[in-house]
Amino acid sequence: MAPTPGPTTTTERRAQTPSGQQSFVLYLPALLLLTIFFVLPYLYLLYMSFMTHTSGAPYIRDFTFENYAETVRDPFNWEIIWQTLRFGILTTLITLLLSYPLAYHMARASSAIKGLLMIMVLAPLLVGIVIRSYGWMILLADNGLINQAAAGLGIGPFQLMYNETGVMIGLVHIYMPFMVLSLLGSLQTIDPDIERAARSLGAGAWSAFWRVTWPLSLPGVTSGTVLVFVLTVSSYVIPSLLGGYKVLTLPLLVVQTVSELFDWPLGSAMALVFFAITVAIIAAYLKLMDRAMRGVI
Amino acid sequence: MEYSRRGRLLLTTVVTILYLFLLAPIVIVVIAAFNSGEYLRFPPEGFSLRWFRKFLDSEPFVDSFIFSIELAVIVTILATIIGTAAAFYVVRSSSRYRSALKLLMISPLPVPAILTGIALLIFFYAVGIGTNSLFNLIIGHTLISLPYVFLTVSTVLVGFNRSLEEAARNLGAGPWTTFFQITLPIIKGGIISGAVFAFITSFDQFPISLLLAGVGTTPLPLQLFDYLRFSFDPTAAAVSTLSIVMTVVVVLITERLVGLESLYRGSNA
Repeated sequence: MAPTPGPTTTTERRAQTPSGQQSFVLYLPALLLLTIFFVLPYLYLLYMSFMTHTSGAPYIRDFTFENYAETVRDPFNWEIIWQTLRFGILTTLITLLLSYPLAYHMARASSAIKGLLMIMVLAPLLVGIVIRSYGWMILLADNGLINQAAAGLGIGPFQLMYNETGVMIGLVHIYMPFMVLSLLGSLQTIDPDIERAARSLGAGAWSAFWRVTWPLSLPGVTSGTVLVFVLTVSSYVIPSLLGGYKVLTLPLLVVQTVSELFDWPLGSAMALVFFAITVAIIAAYLKLMDRAMRGVI
Repeated sequence: MEYSRRGRLLLTTVVTILYLFLLAPIVIVVIAAFNSGEYLRFPPEGFSLRWFRKFLDSEPFVDSFIFSIELAVIVTILATIIGTAAAFYVVRSSSRYRSALKLLMISPLPVPAILTGIALLIFFYAVGIGTNSLFNLIIGHTLISLPYVFLTVSTVLVGFNRSLEEAARNLGAGPWTTFFQITLPIIKGGIISGAVFAFITSFDQFPISLLLAGVGTTPLPLQLFDYLRFSFDPTAAAVSTLSIVMTVVVVLITERLVGLESLYRGSNA
C-alpha cells in the first residue's frame, strides 16, 4: 500500500519540471491514508451521533437528535464535564507554576549544562505514560515509599492515590515537559540585558520580572497552557490508574459508553459535545491572551 | 545576573526539587525491578533478578512485548516512507493548496488520540474490517506517528540548498545518484529523527491501542495497564524497565548515527 523508496524517488525525479515542481504522486499515499482513515472516520462519528441506539445492535439507521438531547439533559454528564474541565484548569495552572522556574533556569543556564538539563526534561517523554503512572503508584500507594517515609516521621498514612490528589500529581508530572519546552521557546528569545536594564533603572527583582520578563514570555505561556489543557482533558491512563476508577472524567465515560455499553450513538454525541466545549474554551482563552499580549508588547 | 545570592540559591533549590519530581517515578520503577521484595522499601532489601525471570515466564507479557516491537517496526517503516514523501511534495511544490495539505498532515496531532481511537473503532466496524485488529492497529498507529516524520523531514528540507542537487545533475549525475549521493545524506538526520519519533510514539501508544486491540494483538502498554488494574507486583517493574531500555537503545543508536542534537531539533520542529 505504501510505495517503496525506490519507485518514489524515480517518479519524483522524472516528474520534476525545470522549475523544481514535485509530482503529486509523492503526496498521494499520505492523502489516501488521511482521507480514508482520518477524515472519513471523524465524519462517520458525526453521522453516528445522529443514529438511534437499540439493545440488539450498536445502532440502527434512524435519524434522531435524541443523543445530543440526552447528553445535555443528564445532570450526571454535566457533573463529569465540569470535573474534567476542573482537572484541566487546575493541572494547567500548577504545571505552569512549576515549569516556569525550570524553564527560566534553563534559559539562563550555560550551554555546558543546558544539554544535560534538556535531557532530564525530555527523558520522561521517552518513557510510556503507563510506566510513569506505575512509578507514581509505587510512590503514592498506602504502603508506598512516601507513606513509609511519613510513618518514619510518625505522621500519616495519607491517602495519596485512588483519589483526586493522585490524579493531579500524575497529570502534572506527565505534562510538565510540554510546558517547559513551550516556555523555554519564549524565554530563550528574551535578552537578559533587557531585564538587567530594568534593574539598573531601579526596578526591584520582582517588579523587573513582572513588568519585563513575564509579559515577554506570554507567547510561550499561551502555547504551553493550551497544549497542557488539551492533553489533560483528553487523558485516559492517569485518571483510570491513579484514580482507580473512583475519579470519573469524560474520556473514561465516553470509552465506557462506547466499548462497554456499546451505545455508539450516545458515545459519539458525548465525545463531540465535549470536543466542542473544549474548542470553545480554547478559542475564548486565545482571544483573551491575544488582547493581553497586545496590551503589553 | 544581579540577583542576590539568596535569590539564586532559592532558584537552584526549587529547580533541583523539580528535576527530582520529574525523574523520581522513572528511577523508582527501575529500582523496584531489581529489588528482591514484593514492595519497595528503603533501604531496598537486596538485589535480585527474580522479577525479570517472572516476566520471562509470563506468556502474555513476553508475547505483547514482541508484538509491540513488531508493530512499532511496521509503523515506523510506513510512517517514515509516507511522511518523507509527503514532506518532499509539500515543501517543494508551489501548489496553492500547499498550506491545506500541510494542515491535513499534522491534523492527527492536535485532536485527542482517544477520540481518534473511538472514531476509528466505529468506522472499522462499519466497513466490516473491525475484527482485523492487526491491520487496525497498524493504521491507527501510523496516523498518529505520521505528523512527527512529516515535521522533522520538512524542517530539514526547508533549509536544504537545492543548488547542490542542480550542481550534481549538471555534472552528469542521474536522478538516482543525485538522490542517494547528495539529497539523502544531507536530510538523513531529519528522516532518522522522524523515524525514531514514529517508533517511540507507536511503542508507547496507549489510547489508540486501547480501542483497537484484539485478542492476541495486545501491545505492551495495554497489557501493562490491564495488569496494573489488579496488582502492581514488581513483574510490571521488570517489564517497564525492559521497555525503558528498549527506548534508550533506540535513542543511543540514533545518537551514534546522527547525533542527539538533530533529535532535539526535530522535537522542537
